[in-house]
Amino acid sequence: MKFYRIMAISRRVFRDVANDKRSLAMLFLAPIFAMCVFGVAFSGDVENVNVIIVNQDQGLTSPLGGTTYLSTEIINNLNTTTLNIQNMTNLDEARLKVENGQSSAVIIFPEDFSKNAFLKSQNQSYPLNAEIIIEGDDSITNIKNAILKSVNQAISDTLTENGITPAIKVTSDPIYGKDAEFIDFFVPGILAFVVYLLTTILTLITFVGERSNGTLERVLASPVTEGEVVTGYAITFSTFGVLQVALLMIIAIMVFNIMVVGNVILAFFAVAILAIACQALGILLSSLAKRPEQAIQFFPFVILPVFLLSGVFWPVQAIPYWLRPFSYIVPPTYAVDACRAVMLKGWGLDKIWPDLLALLIFALFFLFLAVWTLKRGKK
Amino acid sequence: MTLENEYAILTNHLTKKFKDFIAVNDLDLKVKKGEIYGLLGPNGAGKTTIIKMLASIRNPTKGKASVLGEEIPDGNIASKIGYMPQETGIYLGLTVDQNMKFYGRIFNLKREEIEKREDELLKFVDLEDWKYEMVENLSGGMKHRVSLACTLIHQPELLFLDEPTVGVDPELRESFWKYFQQLKENGATILITTHYMDEARHCDRIGFIQRGKLIAEDTPANLLKNSGKDSLEDAFLLFSRKEDKDLKEVMA
Ligand SMILES: Nc1ncnc2c1ncn2[C@@H]1O[C@H](COP(=O)(O)OP(=O)(O)O)[C@@H](O)[C@H]1O
Ligand SMILES: [Mg+2]
Repeated sequence: MKFYRIMAISRRVFRDVANDKRSLAMLFLAPIFAMCVFGVAFSGDVENVNVIIVNQDQGLTSPLGGTTYLSTEIINNLNTTTLNIQNMTNLDEARLKVENGQSSAVIIFPEDFSKNAFLKSQNQSYPLNAEIIIEGDDSITNIKNAILKSVNQAISDTLTENGITPAIKVTSDPIYGKDAEFIDFFVPGILAFVVYLLTTILTLITFVGERSNGTLERVLASPVTEGEVVTGYAITFSTFGVLQVALLMIIAIMVFNIMVVGNVILAFFAVAILAIACQALGILLSSLAKRPEQAIQFFPFVILPVFLLSGVFWPVQAIPYWLRPFSYIVPPTYAVDACRAVMLKGWGLDKIWPDLLALLIFALFFLFLAVWTLKRGKK
Repeated sequence: MTLENEYAILTNHLTKKFKDFIAVNDLDLKVKKGEIYGLLGPNGAGKTTIIKMLASIRNPTKGKASVLGEEIPDGNIASKIGYMPQETGIYLGLTVDQNMKFYGRIFNLKREEIEKREDELLKFVDLEDWKYEMVENLSGGMKHRVSLACTLIHQPELLFLDEPTVGVDPELRESFWKYFQQLKENGATILITTHYMDEARHCDRIGFIQRGKLIAEDTPANLLKNSGKDSLEDAFLLFSRKEDKDLKEVMA
């Protein structure tokens, strides 16, 4: 391995991409475009969501007389900008309204709501939980989230006011964490996804070209080795990956106000390793294409599994159980997870190292295979 | 003088199979240092495969070969070899200048040396005005000229030129051959393939290749004399028919 040869390759690949306006656009404009489209579609603050409250709470009557209704306090704390509240007593009628699409959800406070809440707060071993049931039209995620978020916010405000800490269960699992908007969840994932997709596809196309126009053979007939070629590509594409992610992050922060609580350098690092694995994957795939046009036939195989499995659009936990093992054999899963953990939860190296290690193993494995296929080409 | 010193290329039963198909069949080739040797044969005869094995980018299935005194495949002679692939082997998305700089850099040439060589070579292939043009905007013949210039940037001792004159107009083709002569006079050895029989007369020696076999080999003049024909094309056909007949006799 000679550094000057690796750098000559790296520089050349860089030039090759930089010279071509379409490649540049694909690398830098397409992801911004995609992020904006998704961002606008998913991020707008939801307002005026019609909900129906069915309050069956009997309150808690203290031995001294007087009844306290925790439910009423929570209801008073609900954000009325977000929610358009209608009170009803008949649960079946309320459900019908949701079925008819007149309302997005029914929020139900069961009879023993206050009782369970207070008893639980006095004695943690009390067996019953206070529960709020949301029966909603879950087909539109961000509406569902807005409702959940409002309810959770109202609960926490009420509890703070009363200085009590009962566990109140909101049935309808909060999917995206308490404060995160969909865009917060989405951006770290799309960063990794974009790097995966564009790096793999761009190396695939570039390398099929190298094979068919004789440049690869000319280079390999020179003192350049297979390992140097692959390393040169890796340097360029990991650099591009970091640039892409930096640009996307800046735009996401400026335009969508996404939250970044952790150290972004760690996210860059995860994405750079991912890019190295992906360019090697691109080189590997290129050995299966006989002609440049054939490379296009690989695109669905490159895009779809990762789209479905890597956790970009929905969490890996939401994938059917039997499919989940496959999530862990697509490298972007680890980068998505790492970026999300860093940006949303502020995790450091001490916690995300398993993701980085997995990415590193994938990168080394693919690099090794890429060099091996190049050597095998001599057969 | 040992054989290694006298010959730039020596092969011994060199054979290449692709699955069951024999692309190069038991080839014994000797190319003297400082000569222009032409591999002549129809498409699919195995010329490219021979060159690729000698340039260490294909491994032989059987047999041996030594190139510039080293048994191939060998990484150490790579810097003394110039390989011009049949597919031109230049980057369409780079300018002429960027292509030449890249090929100069991988041979560890100094920046000033690259500049100097680049100017000389572009002048020779008459592309000075196209230095900063994207290769994809050039015509086929121009691409071949860029390709040749890239092959020569590091002043190789031994040149493998795979159909360098395809798509090059006759006038330029003549000047290519003049330049090959000039390289030879400076001590380079050239192994060149072509399926244009007429231009093979420029070679010092010619090997007729058919179905992976060397069926005849000599100077152009001797090949004509021995075959009693007056064109290399007819001479090739004669040797080729003779080969077929021999084959049939062996089979019978
Ligand atoms: N990688 C390969 N796999 C299978 N067959 C090949 C391969 N490369 C060349 N061949 C076959 O070997 C024969 C010789 O090819 P080639 O050396 O390119 O001939 P030429 O250069 O004389 O036209 C052809 O029939 C070709 O189809
Ligand atoms: Mg050929």
